Amino acid sequence: MSKITRRTVLRGIIRGVAVGVALPYLDCFLNTNGQALAATGQRIPTRFGTWIWGCGFIPEKWIPAATGSNYSLPDDLKLLEPYRSKLAILSGFDVKLDGVPNKPHITGCLGLRTGIPVPNEVVKAPTLDVLIGDVVGKGTRFQSIEVSTAGIDRSYSYRAAGSPNPSEVSPQALYRRIFVDGFQDPNATEFKPDTRTMARKSVLSAVQEDRKRLMRDVGAEDRHRLDEYFSSLRQLERQLALQLEPPAPVENFTMPKAPGDRALDSEIDHVMVTHRLMAGLLAKALQCNQTRIFNVLFSDTASNLRRAGTTTTHHTLTHEEPVDPKLGYQKEHAWFATRSMVAWREFLDEIASIKEGDATLLDHSLILAHSDCSIAKAHAVEGIPIMLAGNANGRIRTGFHLDGKADPITRVGLTVQQAMGLQTDRWGALSMDTNRTITELLV
Amino acid sequence: MRLSVLTHFVSFSRCRDLRWLALLLAPLASGAEMTWIENGRAGFVVADIKYVLAGDAEKTGACQQGMTRNVEEIFTSTPQGKRRTGETDDAYAKRLQQAGTQLSTAPNGQNLCMNPEAGAPDLNFRTARFTNTAIDGIDIDGVESRVDAPTPRGCPHRDSIGKHGERGIDNQYSRVVGCMRAYQPTGQANGFAVEMLTGSWGILLSLEGVDDIRNDDSIEVGIFANADPIQLSPSRSPLAYATYAIDQDIRFRAKTKGRIKDGVLTTEPVNMLFHSVTNGLRFERPLQHARVQATISKDGSLSGYLAGYTPVEAMYDYQFGYRSGKNAKGELGPLGLRLGTGNGAARVLGYTCPGVYFALYEHADGDPDQNGRCTSISTQYSFSAIPAFVVDAETKSVNDKLEGKGDRREK
Amino acid sequence: MRNETVLRMRCVAAMSVLIVLSGCGDSIREPEAVGGPAVMRRLTESQYRDTIASIFGADVAIPARFERGLRAEGLIAVGTSEAGMSPFSIEQYDAAALGVAAAIVSEKGRDKFVPCKPHTDMAFDAACAKRFVEVYGLRLFRRPLTSEESQRFVSMAQAGQQRLGDFYAGLEVTLAGMMVSAEFLLRIERTKPETDPSELRELDAWSKATRLSFFLTNAAPDAELLRAAGAGELDSKKGLRRHVDRLIGSPLFKPAVRAFFADMLQFDKFGDLAKDSVVYPAFSSTVAADAQEQTLRTITDLLIEQQGDYRDLFTTRQANLTRALGIVYRVPVPTRNGWEKSEFSVNRHRVGIQAHVAFLSLYSHPGRSSATLRGKAIREVFLCQEVPDPPPNVDFSAVQETANSKMPTARDRLEVHRTQPACAGCHKIMDPLGLTLENYDGLGTYRTVENETVIDASGSLDGIDFKTPEGLGQALHDHPETPRCLVERMYRYAVGRDTEMEERSYMDYLTHSFATHGFRVPELMRTIALSENFFAISAQGEKSEHEQVALRTGEGL
Repeated sequence: MSKITRRTVLRGIIRGVAVGVALPYLDCFLNTNGQALAATGQRIPTRFGTWIWGCGFIPEKWIPAATGSNYSLPDDLKLLEPYRSKLAILSGFDVKLDGVPNKPHITGCLGLRTGIPVPNEVVKAPTLDVLIGDVVGKGTRFQSIEVSTAGIDRSYSYRAAGSPNPSEVSPQALYRRIFVDGFQDPNATEFKPDTRTMARKSVLSAVQEDRKRLMRDVGAEDRHRLDEYFSSLRQLERQLALQLEPPAPVENFTMPKAPGDRALDSEIDHVMVTHRLMAGLLAKALQCNQTRIFNVLFSDTASNLRRAGTTTTHHTLTHEEPVDPKLGYQKEHAWFATRSMVAWREFLDEIASIKEGDATLLDHSLILAHSDCSIAKAHAVEGIPIMLAGNANGRIRTGFHLDGKADPITRVGLTVQQAMGLQTDRWGALSMDTNRTITELLV
Repeated sequence: MRLSVLTHFVSFSRCRDLRWLALLLAPLASGAEMTWIENGRAGFVVADIKYVLAGDAEKTGACQQGMTRNVEEIFTSTPQGKRRTGETDDAYAKRLQQAGTQLSTAPNGQNLCMNPEAGAPDLNFRTARFTNTAIDGIDIDGVESRVDAPTPRGCPHRDSIGKHGERGIDNQYSRVVGCMRAYQPTGQANGFAVEMLTGSWGILLSLEGVDDIRNDDSIEVGIFANADPIQLSPSRSPLAYATYAIDQDIRFRAKTKGRIKDGVLTTEPVNMLFHSVTNGLRFERPLQHARVQATISKDGSLSGYLAGYTPVEAMYDYQFGYRSGKNAKGELGPLGLRLGTGNGAARVLGYTCPGVYFALYEHADGDPDQNGRCTSISTQYSFSAIPAFVVDAETKSVNDKLEGKGDRREK
Repeated sequence: MRNETVLRMRCVAAMSVLIVLSGCGDSIREPEAVGGPAVMRRLTESQYRDTIASIFGADVAIPARFERGLRAEGLIAVGTSEAGMSPFSIEQYDAAALGVAAAIVSEKGRDKFVPCKPHTDMAFDAACAKRFVEVYGLRLFRRPLTSEESQRFVSMAQAGQQRLGDFYAGLEVTLAGMMVSAEFLLRIERTKPETDPSELRELDAWSKATRLSFFLTNAAPDAELLRAAGAGELDSKKGLRRHVDRLIGSPLFKPAVRAFFADMLQFDKFGDLAKDSVVYPAFSSTVAADAQEQTLRTITDLLIEQQGDYRDLFTTRQANLTRALGIVYRVPVPTRNGWEKSEFSVNRHRVGIQAHVAFLSLYSHPGRSSATLRGKAIREVFLCQEVPDPPPNVDFSAVQETANSKMPTARDRLEVHRTQPACAGCHKIMDPLGLTLENYDGLGTYRTVENETVIDASGSLDGIDFKTPEGLGQALHDHPETPRCLVERMYRYAVGRDTEMEERSYMDYLTHSFATHGFRVPELMRTIALSENFFAISAQGEKSEHEQVALRTGEGL
């Protein structure tokens, strides 16, 4: 277990060594790799997922007026108050077109997820959940699980053009796939330490053998700095040592109940129930390490949700419904936008209800919720709303609203990948190429 | 790269007429910086543009017979179109869908949005009748037209009267769409500038030979399609003083003479051509015998009207039927996309394709063919523009290869 | 008598030789070297990247994030000799090392980068491992490995091969280990072994090569320079001159000059820069990035390509522009994506890098310009004159009220700076400079009026009065401290520490030399690199240990 305390890091300053940059946020219960430690002192893995809702938002009901951590939640986000400290609200980040025609409901969503503003469904790069899965998802039974709750088999998780990862639309089928056919008891699987990690650890150990000689070669003022260097190296070694330990055993896991028969259609009340069921199953699947990566499509980008007794879909309304002169926005469209946030809240409820160690599954996850556009009737890809939930085992800071000021939305994708441990310093291509991490987010 | 900068830095040695120099050195009345006009040249980019329409039909009473309907509404107004008892949402929706498709198909099997001429005038199509409503705009043909008499180069129609009593304003298009829900002030059909603001197309203006920005009898005016995306601030407003290249295809460049009187710019008629983009499909937006009438303000913004005659076939294409939409390489777009866009727009915006097609011809008031049938319809746009540097240079997007673009200018 | 004559003739001869040698009029000789303490410097981000590129080629990706540099004595370069090594940075260096090492031993990489072929891919080949370790050890550690080091790394490779079952995997982890070693990440300076620490010493050949290379190319010594160090060529004047000229003539010289000016102009502060989007809608992160690039391009164009006079940087009208900048400068830029070279015409009132968007926007507030910040920056950045901090109880409300009709221009609002005795002392050295630049708003756009009142742009700099920003540019050009400040800063940058008291006459010498060589910066860098003082390490005494505190970038006023 790493012995990092505030004092250890501050010691450098007191003795006159300049540290040079803001100290990384340290929680006593985490090591600097942000690996959460269960009560047993073993690792809990970090999970990643995306959650998509279609047809954007009503800006005056969603974008907080203030930025920073002292912002008040606007109307459509008020119900997220219990999760305020675990959410980062990101507005004002754009998909940059530079003249490329915007394919409605496609360019924005795929631009956000692949880093390239493609004018059609022919993606030119894998989506970021696939990139993350390739690094952290290989050790589990499923590299990722995709679900769609409005009855449409659609997903925005692509490995390459023409090969999207298909979504499960039926809760029953999802239950069967995860918990019946080939279910793996997480506590029964054998842990094999990674040989590469072992090799790297012994190299780091050997590199430190030079310490005495080096201390002699440098001046008195510089010895403290070398000291800090060696402590940092030791910490890195300890991180590797931790990875060689078996992960925390899954505690308090109970098999979920099999869901009953359901109508799988686009009527919103049905969809809300389906969504809640699937969220619960997904949470349990994550708890018992059947997968670490997930993608949820609450409503398709051209949302087919509708009210009972009507045939007009949410998407049609965004184009058809006149603006209400008193409200200044489309009333029916706004109703669906609000319900989408209710669904998001219910999703968070399911994830946060799973206890893990001293915290919850939500604390050990990073969930990227986003839409395909900001203003649906214009299919606007500027200012696409994003929310990050969870602290990714301490790697991500939350509890604030950040205005992207028209920066490319690939900054979000880049930061999310870095938070999940991918060693990448740039992402996106052409008009959306960026190497600027969102430092407000990344610890 | 061929390069000739239309608006360039001042070089004192080159000026011949000193009046503009006096203008530049004169004390500024309200302290505004007149950096947008230099050497008698000024450039502008259109920041907002929409059709001039009559206003809410409920208030003007222009649609006494009701609003125009789409195929589903036509069907639901019939007895068979009502929901049967016990019919589920899904089943009813499916039935509406099927009926709509049927109504969208011509007797010869062709889709009516792709081939509206295969249908017949739609009795459910309503056009606006307003007589006392004031609509601003330009008198394009220079004639006060009446419904009972033909015009020198057009067809009988009723002109509108402007808000300040101006007579002779030609705006037949506003009558065609005046009873469509989507063209009411709260509707969406007049929002085509959205694609302009995302950079898919744009319009540039240039003035040259301006001796006096308040009064000048003879200046050169250029109206061009913009080859570059409009530059916006983080709050999505167009930024002044950006540089834009005019379209390299000369069909999209119009040059004409103009004058400024008491700060109002007017131009001689000229044929103009712009781009229009919907759902990734590219169209051409022509405007024949078009004129500009706009006020020039001290900070270099323009505000006023652009009006002319739109050929009905082109108008139908880029605004309603989307038949001939092309991709970036200049090839016809996918059939499914064109079909879907045309039929989808009709449904969502509330009209039928043959309905609007025949109504357009019925109200056409310009360019008569050899049989005397008018083939273009008077159209008024209101627009605003801000200062910009207009250059003639070849430019392209960094994202060109995403569209599989070769040289767009190969025509 | 004869002796005197001989002596005089010898003096004359010596003098004429000197004159001939110096090539120009009245050059003075370098005073006796005094040197300073040896410093242990951390690599900056650009140095790290350029070093990896120089060893492994520019195609090898570096998947790591770098911390902000620490600024000391006005330079990050000096901060490198005070900065520590946080756990975060080791983590990132480790990630970079793994990425690079993986590319090196990959199927494609190994043919290019591994200098020998093992007997089989799986089994351990000691000779090949030794060769690999020593070839890259030399480049990474900037000196040959000791036999103990070489053995240690070879054993690492062997242990790796045993555990992973693959020879190249063993090389991979070993290379990654070398790249997180202190000898790579930190520049540890060593003096010639035979000398006495209580006397003036000289850096050993390897440390000389390192100082030279990072100064003139912003990267570690290349293979040729290392060979020369080993052969003793850097210890002879002729050999040193040849290599200095080679480095200055190399394509890496320009990035080195850029790195210096980016440091001097404090461009890292752009990371913190925010502008009010209502007041300055044209500002974006693109404008911020382009603004810095514009100034750096103008600098290298003038100083390197045109071999120009440094002082002309304050009067030049040369412009490198992008469309994003065109909006702020209000000039046309036909090139849609990319850079365009042109010149600001006279009526644009744009002369000098102090009138570029980079300088003007950096030293302003989010929603307004700042005559004081700009005046202070001119003093500190271009003239090396320190301005004390304001007293703690200052009331800023008047100057922040930009819409006050009684005080329409900044000059009016800053009136109290000039009239209050407690303020005037410091402000009279800053405000008269910054108020001239009020013709540029907080983003850098030119304006003649503020709140409908014509701006009075008159000011003065140490006795020279002017009415326009062009006048300020000329005054900066003519100011005697301008070249001297650059000289001192360039030297501190080169050695990574503050100048010592005893180095004053050396500074005089460099300044004089700078002037006699037409204020050409490449020439100044050459003079420094060829001077004896550059490689001198002072006698080891106990200099007072001053408190080194973690510095953040300065507060605005």
